[in-house]
Amino acid sequence: MQIDDALLSKLENLSHLHVADDKREEIIAQLSEIVSFVDNLSELDTTGVSDTFSMTDNGTLTREDTPSCNTQVNENIISNSPKSGDNYFIVPKIIE
Amino acid sequence: MITLKEALKLSKDELKKFKEELRKDIEARAELNGYVEVLDHGDGVPIAIKDNIQVNGWSVTSGSQILQGYIAPYNATVIDKMSEAGLSAFGRTNMDEFAMGSTTESSFYGKTQNPHNADCVPGGSSGGSAAVVGAGLAIAALGSDTGGSIRQPASFCGIVGMKPTYGRVSRFGLGAYASSLDQIGPMTQNVEDAAILYDIISGHDEKDSTSVDMKDESVTDKLNSDRKLKIAILPKYIEDASNDVKHAYGVAIEALKKAGHTIVEKEMIDAKFDISAYYITATAEATTNLARYDGLRYGSRVEGKNLKDTYFKTRSQFGAEVQRRILLGNFVLSSGYYDAYYVKAQKVRQLIKQNYENIFKEVDLILSPVAPRTAYESGSLEDPLEMYLSDIYTISVNLAGLPAIALPIEKNADNMPVGLQLIAAPFQEQTLFDGALSLEKSL
Repeated sequence: MQIDDALLSKLENLSHLHVADDKREEIIAQLSEIVSFVDNLSELDTTGVSDTFSMTDNGTLTREDTPSCNTQVNENIISNSPKSGDNYFIVPKIIE
Repeated sequence: MITLKEALKLSKDELKKFKEELRKDIEARAELNGYVEVLDHGDGVPIAIKDNIQVNGWSVTSGSQILQGYIAPYNATVIDKMSEAGLSAFGRTNMDEFAMGSTTESSFYGKTQNPHNADCVPGGSSGGSAAVVGAGLAIAALGSDTGGSIRQPASFCGIVGMKPTYGRVSRFGLGAYASSLDQIGPMTQNVEDAAILYDIISGHDEKDSTSVDMKDESVTDKLNSDRKLKIAILPKYIEDASNDVKHAYGVAIEALKKAGHTIVEKEMIDAKFDISAYYITATAEATTNLARYDGLRYGSRVEGKNLKDTYFKTRSQFGAEVQRRILLGNFVLSSGYYDAYYVKAQKVRQLIKQNYENIFKEVDLILSPVAPRTAYESGSLEDPLEMYLSDIYTISVNLAGLPAIALPIEKNADNMPVGLQLIAAPFQEQTLFDGALSLEKSL
């Protein structure tokens, strides 16, 4: 399958990142080559095979829902964030 | 370098002296670039830690620009378990950015050299951990393995690297790449040390919902290289491997026969399907996991003119390979392509798992190559698809969640190490280590 410029732009938007202008052609070629390769899965007959794969055969583990909080971890996270104040993350303005 | 087994007998004073000497040795070989930073996290036996495992108070960056400035706010469970056993984190090691690579060339901190040849790569993504153990600059190290990232660099650097069964070792505090494939594991000088370190870091952890809740049985005290096992070899599977690898395969088969094991021939699904199922699954999970790097809560933020612009500018700091995998992951998950790619890959994953289950009905272990050849020359594996194809022998183990151990077999004519791996059924770590110890002794 061939990836084109329009599809790359869509993927950039979904990914929230920009591919540098001088890299676009190269990355389109690389992605097309990789996607064409993985198309080989269509050679395998998977009729009747379950489409949900789980790493454990025993289902998801559960535990008692007891509240716990190590506030030191919160403080560490806030103090190392790019911008913070009064125990909050400071982010760019959302509403212009 | 002393072994982990020996180091565990040293007194605190002896360990202190040992670490002082070790620091000097690391400095004397700075050009290896295996360590990103030499930090000391306690007075235990020093263990080198891959830069995606959190050590409280240490910088932890997954080899990426986007995590510059991030300080781990707590210990990964494996670090706490090490502390309880008298081991402590010592130095963080270089890796491919976000563990996405097979050469340790995509790190923010530059390339790591192979300790056996400075012009070759150490493998990846745990290339720093493998290089420092291989160079005698660490007693042992921790790595992480998503598609071979412990076993392949171990093989390229002539050391032992082990990937536990999925769920055996807690992933709490490990930087997530592909959550259904990632496992932390030991990288050591020999099989017994790998068993010792595996015993220390494994076990149920309620902080990881995929950690398996079963009785924690230690393997080291029961190690038995005299057990006679039935081991599968894969003649068709290794046809595309280099002559060095084929030669080592022959040597290992003879050694195993001599040790009294029964060898049988088996066949695997064509490995080209492993590559496809893996790169669809891994990129889909990576794209989801890496969505959290938006510059708001941690790491390096690049301010834009508004929030959206800040997201885009911050995330454009990802390196080329990470960007490629995020874009690919969004492709296979996006509307219109999801069924043909992601869902299909999950079905193929079932087939790969069943293939292994059928083989393990008849045998205890499988002997397999780790990589198609010995360590690549730096810069020679730049084409992404070619790099993905080099993972051909390691990724099915992760897709099926199996335990496997890579160990050095011999050196080729250029004096480069050639490793092979043994693979076991889920939770059969005892059999895996017993077989590996027997092979190590018989070589």
